[in-house]
Amino acid sequence: MDVRKIRYKRFLKLLTLLVTSMFIATASATIYYSLTMEPRVTVSTPVVKFDSASDEPSGSTVNDAWCRLTAKSYPNATLTYEKAVYINNTDSGSAHSIRLSHVSITPANGTSDVGNWTSIKFLVYNSGGYVFSLNYTVSGTDWILQPSGGETSYYSVPASTAWWIRLETLSPATATAGKICDIEIAVDVQE
Amino acid sequence: MPSPLLPEFFALLGIDVFLAISLLTCLLDKRFPQAIPYVYQIAALAGFGHLLISKEFMVLFGEYMRFWYCFIYLIVALANIVGVNIYLAIPKSSSKKLRTLAKVFFGTVTFPTILMCLFFVSSYSNGTGSSLSLFPQVPLEHVYVVLIVCAGILGMGFIVAFRRKKMTKTGREVS
Repeated sequence: MDVRKIRYKRFLKLLTLLVTSMFIATASATIYYSLTMEPRVTVSTPVVKFDSASDEPSGSTVNDAWCRLTAKSYPNATLTYEKAVYINNTDSGSAHSIRLSHVSITPANGTSDVGNWTSIKFLVYNSGGYVFSLNYTVSGTDWILQPSGGETSYYSVPASTAWWIRLETLSPATATAGKICDIEIAVDVQE
Repeated sequence: MPSPLLPEFFALLGIDVFLAISLLTCLLDKRFPQAIPYVYQIAALAGFGHLLISKEFMVLFGEYMRFWYCFIYLIVALANIVGVNIYLAIPKSSSKKLRTLAKVFFGTVTFPTILMCLFFVSSYSNGTGSSLSLFPQVPLEHVYVVLIVCAGILGMGFIVAFRRKKMTKTGREVS
């Protein structure tokens, strides 16, 4: 038998195996890649959630992931809702950091209606006392945010602990009754 | 933090191991039966089917079960590498050349493959928590340590093999 023929046969065999190996390896890697690209989203209760508190404004709605507080404001008198809503870390295993951040407010800056309020403050408390706050104060026809960036720093809520928001509102003596201010703020949670 | 690896990674690793042995046994075809490379190709194809099934029934099987059947497939692939290595080293067919080949095979293929697989299994168990606590937990970021160890063993293997060859040559020349 010709030696060249044997070599050629051997080379062909190796080439065939190499090609099929490449096909199998590529196809398998593609399948694996498609598996890693299949995200699964499960609906679940948030780990840090809102809970109703003892001094919740009447007519408010409190759900796990969002809440609407319908607070009042009195002319020339500070109205305080001591425990407007709880921010409850239900995770028994670990602490989670939260912050308050401004989303939107109406009436908007530059509108004369802004002058119907002096300040609206969202103060976060825990059992040890005041922790941090997001404040809206009025200067002329503009809202001044504190902190100025519109968001607070992150603060760590220990495991299985509830903090609460104390809501303080104040209007000037000249405020018109029936005026409505809508504020949307977010409680950002680091999960 | 969940593991960045999916359990199917072990099946993928097993497939690649089977393909590698298939090519190696083809290259060493004088020492193995003719059908062996094709048998390993079929085993790799079976692993591909295994991946497809895993993809279709991903939710039904659950992560724990998926890990175990992929891990068993990888174990079978590794057992085959060890088997090939033993076949090269068994006394029946052993000549000096074959024994050296078995040693080189161990240093370049068997040992690095087993070490890499062990590393991936331990880094996977690192991300899954308590369910796989029987495996040691090594983070994925330490892959370079494994690569250095592999390279070290490989280098040592080469040094030992070449030194012995040189010594044998010199011995022959003296005699």
